[in-house]
Amino acid sequence: MKRGSILLGICILTLVALLSAPKALADRLDLIQKRGTLIVGVKSDYPPFGMLDANGRLIGFEADLAADLAHRLGFDLQLVAVSSTNRLQKLEEGAIDVVIATLGDTSQRRQIATLIEPNYYASGATVIASPQARLSSWADLRGQKVCATQGAYFNRAMAERFLLDLQIFNGTRDARLALRDGRCIAWLYDDTGIIGILGESQRAEEQTPLPSMMISPWAMAIAASERGLRLERAISEVIADWHRSGWLIATERRWGIEPSQFLADLHQLWSQTRPDGTPVCTRLPDGNWPAECRNKLLLTSTEVGGLHRVGLLLKEQTGLNLSILYDGYDRHLFLSGIGMTLKLMVGAIVGSLLLGCLGALVAESGIPGLNGLVRLTTAVGRMTPPLLLIYLVFFGIGHIAVTRFGWSFDGSTITIFCLSVYTGCAIVFALLEACTILKNREPSFVLRGRTLPRAMRLASAAVIGALVNVVKATGMASAIAVPELISVSTAIIAEQGNAAVMMNVLLIVYFLLVMAVVQLFSYFERRLSPHELP
Amino acid sequence: MSFPEIAGMLLAWTPFLAEGFAWNILMSLLAMVIGTVLGAVLAWLRLSERKALTRASLLATELTRNVPTFVFLFYLAFLIPAEFEVSGQIYPFPAWLKAALALSVAVIGFVSDNLFVAWRHWRNHDHAAALLFVPSWTLYLVIIVMASSTASVIGVSEIVSRCNVVIAAVGGDETMLWVYAYAIAYFLLFCFPVNWAMGRVKHHLLMHVSTKVRKGEERGEKT
Repeated sequence: MKRGSILLGICILTLVALLSAPKALADRLDLIQKRGTLIVGVKSDYPPFGMLDANGRLIGFEADLAADLAHRLGFDLQLVAVSSTNRLQKLEEGAIDVVIATLGDTSQRRQIATLIEPNYYASGATVIASPQARLSSWADLRGQKVCATQGAYFNRAMAERFLLDLQIFNGTRDARLALRDGRCIAWLYDDTGIIGILGESQRAEEQTPLPSMMISPWAMAIAASERGLRLERAISEVIADWHRSGWLIATERRWGIEPSQFLADLHQLWSQTRPDGTPVCTRLPDGNWPAECRNKLLLTSTEVGGLHRVGLLLKEQTGLNLSILYDGYDRHLFLSGIGMTLKLMVGAIVGSLLLGCLGALVAESGIPGLNGLVRLTTAVGRMTPPLLLIYLVFFGIGHIAVTRFGWSFDGSTITIFCLSVYTGCAIVFALLEACTILKNREPSFVLRGRTLPRAMRLASAAVIGALVNVVKATGMASAIAVPELISVSTAIIAEQGNAAVMMNVLLIVYFLLVMAVVQLFSYFERRLSPHELP
Repeated sequence: MSFPEIAGMLLAWTPFLAEGFAWNILMSLLAMVIGTVLGAVLAWLRLSERKALTRASLLATELTRNVPTFVFLFYLAFLIPAEFEVSGQIYPFPAWLKAALALSVAVIGFVSDNLFVAWRHWRNHDHAAALLFVPSWTLYLVIIVMASSTASVIGVSEIVSRCNVVIAAVGGDETMLWVYAYAIAYFLLFCFPVNWAMGRVKHHLLMHVSTKVRKGEERGEKT
């Protein structure tokens, strides 16, 4: 009896499977061709991407995309309103053919639907702030109170990456009011959602001064069973063509949306050609787009080669996100950061030595009054925090130099100058101490260019100590946005969210750099004074 | 802006900026306390008979010496969460505490090196030379107070970040120059007297050391 019912069950299941199989296996494009109409799900509550007009018709940026897609494939169009919660379900049921509804491209969603590459748009996190806040980079928000709306996917990540002091509010209205009342200096929100909320009533004190972060690309989706079939390929070709021709940028402009960097970047990428004239983004023999034309966030180690592959394998196996290994852009950024730090280190060492020697020679030149003046200046210089000096010169004096005389200096030059002044003062002090000792030994001693090496030899320990300190202080350049190691590391963390990995890499790299400098100095010290060794 | 206007502006903001400077001092003192305790442990380990302990201590000292405070500042800011949950209760971990910890790393290296030397002097009954540690320690406090200005980059509301608040609130091109110069004056007023006094103490102790050495030499000649 029991066995019989199991057998019956198996029979029914097999029958169901056999009956439903042909339907599932049939190419969706055939079905659409028979019907003559492409059914597209778009949003109705996300202006200006998908909304209802006065007659209750679905319009918007994404509705335009749907219309052009249907036109190019040679079908009529039927729009269906979908929501964030039911869009993928309706797709799976077969009620709609395509979803174009602000759908973020994630690996979880790729499991349950076919997400089509290339991505057609992207959203990201941005801030709304009044012009008085004078925000010029995300780093300006470090440690500041920033309002946010409950439930946004980027809240936590943005707080960790930029060290924001987030004040979370329940709804957009509360967050907006809090910003207006000055309870936070900026309001963190989705850069595409914000357009609909601010809408016509945008006020002069509500601006979006910063570039969007944590870019989440949007993908069109078709049913999971359509993976690799003709419909996916046909839609993919249309989107690729939109990027090549710049049609998406024009459509965005038509809807009055602020130009998105994402579309500009993709337009540039898709219109790039190799020296032999073929486009960079041409399908590979296996039908895929090349790795550089795909969503970098969702590539896996099996799809790439070389160092890129090593880095991705490490990430997949151990969770260590060493993007400086697998991401060409991050690697280049990090290497240029090391280069800039080395430049600052060498510049500060040379500058400190020059200023130090010059200061000591001037003090001992015998011209009345100069000795006291130099001693006073160096005392003040040694007791001014270098960071404050950098701010004073960069913002205070730099601003006056630009507005009055039109002179401008870049941040690295100013950092080298300020650190050289600070350390130069310490070196002057050490050299003058050495002079005092030498004069005690032989009263005829005077400090001149010729006798400088003797004073330097005596003061070498203090001078080297000061120079090692200045090498360690070069990171301060990051405070005025010089792209050195710390700046580039925080920039990479902001993009990748890999704070733990990058901070440890930074720590190790700095440790090795400083150790190399110390070794180099002790080598020179031995060369300088071979006869004074015990 | 005329001079009376500038003076009036600076005076109006003085309580705000002075409170910021008090934070600098507080962070620095805390950093000195934490750093001295941990540094003393390292120094004590360096005097140990066991090779492994000495080597481990030397390695730790090397690490604290070679990594800049500025890097530790970012390291701790990014890696210590802003809040801790201990048995259901949420405790904040404020940025100024992170800054104090970052500053204390440099103090650890300094104390490990200097206390190690002082300790040996003390064992050899060379008390004046050992006491040189006290002025050196105080002079190091001055260095840490100056370094504490870097805490502004992780958002600690100390004097430098308060300067930026004042500049944003007052506006005007030349404000920056005056506000930053005023902040520098705070550091000078704090550092000058301490430096001078400790210089005197150091000088005094060094005289002691040299006379003692001379006496020792005389004794040595006699025996």
